[in-house]
Amino acid sequence: MNLLKKTQYGLAFILLPLSGFCQSESIKSGSSYFSNALFLTLFITIILLAILIVALGGAFKNIADSDYLINKFKKDEESNTNSTKIVATLLLFVSSFSMFSQNTVAGLKDDGRIGGLDSFTFYFMIALVALELIVLALMLFQFNVLIRTSKTVKEVPKRESTIMQSLVGAVAVEEEDSILLEHDYDGIRELDNDLPPWWKYGFYLTIVVSVVYMLHFHVLGTGDLQLKEYENDIAEAKLAVDEYMKNSANNVDETTVKLLTEQSDLETGKDIFISNCAACHGRAGEGSVGPNLADNYWLHGGSIQDVFKSVKYGWVENGMKSWKEDLSPMQIAQISSFIKSLKGTNPPNPKAAQGDLYTEGEATTQDSTRAQTMAQHTGADTLGTSKQ
Amino acid sequence: MELEKFQYDNKTVKMFAYATIVWGLVGMLAGLIAAIQLYLPSLNLSLPYTTFGRVRPVHTNAVIFAFVGNGIFMGVYYSLQRLLKARMFSDLLSKIHFWGWQLIIVLAAITLVLGKTTGKEYAELEWPIDILITLVWVVFGWNMFGTIIRRRERHLYVAIWFYIATFVTVAMLHIVNSVEIPVSFWKSYSWYAGVQDALIQWWYGHNAVAFFLTTPYLGLMYYFLPKMAQRPVYSYRLSIIHFWALIFLYIWAGPHHLLYTSVPDWAQSLGVVFSVMLIAPSWGGMINGLLTLRGAWDKVRDNVGLKFLVVAVTAYGMATFEGPMLSLKSVSAIAHYTDWIVAHVHVGALGWNGFMTFGILYWLIPKLFQTKLYSQKMANAHFWIGTLGILLYAVPMYWAGFMQSSMWKDFTPEGQLKWQFMDTVTKMIPFYIARSVGGTLYLAGAVLMTYNLIKTIKAGSFLEVEEDEAPALKGDYVAHSKDHWHRWIERKPIQLMVLSLIVVAIGGIIEFVPTFLVKSNIPTIASVKPYTPLELQGRDIYVREGCYTCHSQMIRPFRSETARYGEYSKAGEFVYDHPFQWGSKRTGPDLAREGGKYPDSWHYNHMLDPTSMSPGSIMPQYPWLLEDQIDGNSTMAKIKAMKRLGVPYPDGYEKIALSDMEKQANEITANLKKDGIETLPDREIVALIAYLQRLGKDIKSEKVTDKK
Repeated sequence: MNLLKKTQYGLAFILLPLSGFCQSESIKSGSSYFSNALFLTLFITIILLAILIVALGGAFKNIADSDYLINKFKKDEESNTNSTKIVATLLLFVSSFSMFSQNTVAGLKDDGRIGGLDSFTFYFMIALVALELIVLALMLFQFNVLIRTSKTVKEVPKRESTIMQSLVGAVAVEEEDSILLEHDYDGIRELDNDLPPWWKYGFYLTIVVSVVYMLHFHVLGTGDLQLKEYENDIAEAKLAVDEYMKNSANNVDETTVKLLTEQSDLETGKDIFISNCAACHGRAGEGSVGPNLADNYWLHGGSIQDVFKSVKYGWVENGMKSWKEDLSPMQIAQISSFIKSLKGTNPPNPKAAQGDLYTEGEATTQDSTRAQTMAQHTGADTLGTSKQ
Repeated sequence: MELEKFQYDNKTVKMFAYATIVWGLVGMLAGLIAAIQLYLPSLNLSLPYTTFGRVRPVHTNAVIFAFVGNGIFMGVYYSLQRLLKARMFSDLLSKIHFWGWQLIIVLAAITLVLGKTTGKEYAELEWPIDILITLVWVVFGWNMFGTIIRRRERHLYVAIWFYIATFVTVAMLHIVNSVEIPVSFWKSYSWYAGVQDALIQWWYGHNAVAFFLTTPYLGLMYYFLPKMAQRPVYSYRLSIIHFWALIFLYIWAGPHHLLYTSVPDWAQSLGVVFSVMLIAPSWGGMINGLLTLRGAWDKVRDNVGLKFLVVAVTAYGMATFEGPMLSLKSVSAIAHYTDWIVAHVHVGALGWNGFMTFGILYWLIPKLFQTKLYSQKMANAHFWIGTLGILLYAVPMYWAGFMQSSMWKDFTPEGQLKWQFMDTVTKMIPFYIARSVGGTLYLAGAVLMTYNLIKTIKAGSFLEVEEDEAPALKGDYVAHSKDHWHRWIERKPIQLMVLSLIVVAIGGIIEFVPTFLVKSNIPTIASVKPYTPLELQGRDIYVREGCYTCHSQMIRPFRSETARYGEYSKAGEFVYDHPFQWGSKRTGPDLAREGGKYPDSWHYNHMLDPTSMSPGSIMPQYPWLLEDQIDGNSTMAKIKAMKRLGVPYPDGYEKIALSDMEKQANEITANLKKDGIETLPDREIVALIAYLQRLGKDIKSEKVTDKK
């Protein structure tokens, strides 16, 4: 059958790059890719779609094998060109796809990562999914055309392929009288077909998996339950962050922070301020829900170290949240420096001054509540802080 | 053998069919409005009644209980009579059933819009309606069993097994989950609290899907699909195994809605493994449906009803494979709280339930009106518009859910969260728009169908009297020795019902009883105290406005969540939460540790206009909370009810509760005044602020006393 061979060629063309891709990935850095959820999802999608395509190909084969289609092709030569068309389109897509993938290879230098994947892998996989979808759509369309054009032909009962039959474990349609039960409910009869073997063994498999799962987590205790999983995750992340911070300009805290005066730092600080702080402190720091930041008065100390500390840990009981989970130390230094630069700008609609007058150069505040509040801060540390 | 003549009751079938169509349109429209409000919050017209938190329950209740519910009854009343060769047991019961059910729907719509809700998803209706539902459901069962007893067919067909399982299980689920203590005529508190309430609610919620959206529709499939295809059912043995396996396993899977929450680990694991084991029994139904069409695929081409059925069964297969995958803890960690879940349920709802209903209507209406469908072309158009609608709905939601989840979990190398919650919200807008386009298409298809069916009805004449004849059953039945063993129970409807009840009761009992009896499942925390009267009033406002439809109150033990929201939630924190408010979707951020995060004035301004405090917010405005007065008179009754539920208020506290409430309200008002906001202490906003400021504060700097 011409059509069948051509379809298979088309399939081979699609699946070939896929398999090559899988191999190259597993050689390079298999485990890290497979721990990426996006990769995994795309990968599974690709496999599922490929299975669908193969299944549909099988259905094509079934139809192609059936007698009535042969009759049809004898009578109707037009659809032969139809089938060439689909294969031609398939090839076209495959070739355009390979061109596309070359393009992305060229663009590999780009550092942007998407969902934890390098952009090449991401686009490659998206392209594969898109290609498979297009092929599926084409096949479905063709399928429809096939069925439709066969309408005119006298229908001869079609025979299922042996693969299909062994898959469902069923008695062939034309012999089903032998297993027709005598039940008759309002004209509905029932066959006594056996359970499809893949279904039956699949069911057994899920039961075995379930037993193993329960043993693993709750009897043998070899699996980590969720709190243990959480602790591991936190510890791992801490290691990674510490490692990164060792070699980073970001390595500032409230004891080492210095007032930044570079224009670029203040600009960045301003941008962060507008998007995160302005809702409560006003766009120009004039204060609204939160206190005025453009005057000389400070509730919690006005030195750069104090401001840094206030932003970093917050004053949760007064409604100022902690920003250390949202902003990097460098960003906090930038905002704090920007805030310090607001002094004397006299923005419109200022909120009344609160707190103590601060004179530049004065030592870090020594108020008696500090020790106590720091203790609270440590408490807040273990609880983690918010970001909304 | 002497033949008995009898007539089928087609009138009730017709009425249920009409109700299905009408409520389908209403429910889908409500869904569309809710979908648009997600990017256009002002579509609520600044009215409390049309705000998302109230429209969403209207949508879910309407499509599940009104659209699908009437669809079930339509199909059952039609098929049951024919499968049993008997008229429905009692015309009066049929009438009470029909009008009772419509009354429930109307009452539901009115009360939900008015904010009368229990705050438990898919079980929002208040206690008087709960009782009414129970009564009408009993009428349905009575009518069904009466018919079964008077049958002229010795054995019960597989469709009827599913109907019977549906009847007993829904009754059990509804009664157990709705145990609540009334405070007033339209207000009650759930009997259960926190973790237990969550377990029971999701045992109910999950099995509402199983026994309201799945088993009855499988029954309908077993009747209408072979009927339309005129083919014998593929495998009788498969029917038996997948029926019993399905109803037994389904019940256990509820906790998969609560993975990584404070529910005990063992219960979560049961939820996981039973969901995995469900794949095969679920697919058994799909296989038996699709393989029944072996050798009859050409009929699918010509019969538009069958076309709908094929897509429905396929969607069922997809959704029931995806479900177990979502129940794996690692997948749930990504998908829970996102639009992925919304996509998943809509593949089931639009594909399986919607298309099955449409397919049956296209076949049934012409039959009832003794004519041909007005336009095959239009029905085909409906098929394609509907399919496209489902795709356009599902694909953006899958994408959105996955994207939002990834953004929530992203950290910078310095160890900070990469995205503000708001960033992840604004990124969703295009997907929400695309989804509403999909929904519009789907609704447009349904409108087209309605027109087509009206035209059909107008052209035909209703077959009021449909006669049939069959021999009466004789008492002296002797079983064939070579019969399948299962034939025995097919002759015994009562035994079948009792056995079904036993099979479905096991899973629930094993999962609940330990959480009630074994203390280590919910370690107590000494610092967790009952809500103050003002906070309780605020909590009731939170429930009334349906805040739980967009905000969760359950922080999972993930680095990305504790960094964003604070310490993960503990089981002991929820012991006074009647009902629990963990939520299932984070359109907005989690609120479990909202208390103390912002000043009172922030909340005041935020309720008046959310965008003033968080630019880009898609939360609707709640100006009426600033105007409306707290219902102080109810305070005493509420405290009393809570005491009866075991919340340890001091003796006689209900008498001083009101003055306590006023005292706290005055403090908040004074606090607001400091920030230049003038408000009266008896306004609802004050109570709501009190509640929000309390959330999650109890265990700050406290240790769990009984750590596992």
